[in-house]
Amino acid sequence: MNSRRTRQRGFILIAMSVSMLLLLAVLGLAFDLGRVYIARNEAQVFTDAAAMAAVSKLDGTAAGIARAQAAVAHLPGRWNLGTSEFKGVVVEFSADGTKWESDPKDASGVKLARVIAPDNNLEITFLRAVGGPANLRIAARSAAAADPPRWIE
Amino acid sequence: MIELALSAAVMISFLAGTFQFGYTFYVYNQLVTAVGNGARYAATRTYRAATPQDVEKGAEAIRNMVVFGDARPDAAAVPVVATLAPKQVDVHWVMDPSGAPSAVDVSIREFTVNAVFKKFPFTGRPGVEFPYVGKYAPSEKEQ
Repeated sequence: MNSRRTRQRGFILIAMSVSMLLLLAVLGLAFDLGRVYIARNEAQVFTDAAAMAAVSKLDGTAAGIARAQAAVAHLPGRWNLGTSEFKGVVVEFSADGTKWESDPKDASGVKLARVIAPDNNLEITFLRAVGGPANLRIAARSAAAADPPRWIE
Repeated sequence: MIELALSAAVMISFLAGTFQFGYTFYVYNQLVTAVGNGARYAATRTYRAATPQDVEKGAEAIRNMVVFGDARPDAAAVPVVATLAPKQVDVHWVMDPSGAPSAVDVSIREFTVNAVFKKFPFTGRPGVEFPYVGKYAPSEKEQ
């Protein structure tokens, strides 16, 4: 009986170690995936606003393209629970939606604007302890058309 | 028994933390969606400004869109985020030099997520600014 009790000692520590790993994974899912979903949502709302800001400035001239780029650059927007600014935002323009350019040579036919927020690097806190990635890149993209201004993507 | 007591304390705090953050992030994500939907609506709706009351009515419709997902909710409407009320939503118009609206800021003024074990207050966020692309009608009245 005594030796059986001796053999059972420490069982809770072993069970606890295994459970902790599982709990860490569950906490990681709640904490890190929660932040991922929020970041994705924040980025999508920002690119929607930015695409509309860009397309509302298009007037078929190179100056209109420059105004569209400036409108996106000056648009306030934050992600990561409203604490970080968007960086590396890409603004592209197109006449027909097939070929997109950041700085189109011919601005006369440009009626579409697309905004991509690609550099939202979210640091993973708990999931990496159970084999998840250290960082996750959260990107979002929206496109809008002029006359009348409307979202198309 | 001591091992079990210590282990249980750690596990319970882990579970409480999981619920706390999971629920808070879930609610915050709902707020981001609600603010985004309200701002999209604000950016495209007609800006009627015959009187200051018409501007306020327009802002009220935007607040309702954020809170209920409907500009004219009925009395039984349920907020998309539990306990969120229209008075907690800020709508701020950015005007150009001619007096026409050029952008609209929509944000949550103050909201506290009650995650049972802890309360998380959010002030001024989430918020977003959308360019105004709707029809400017300075002499029209709100219905």
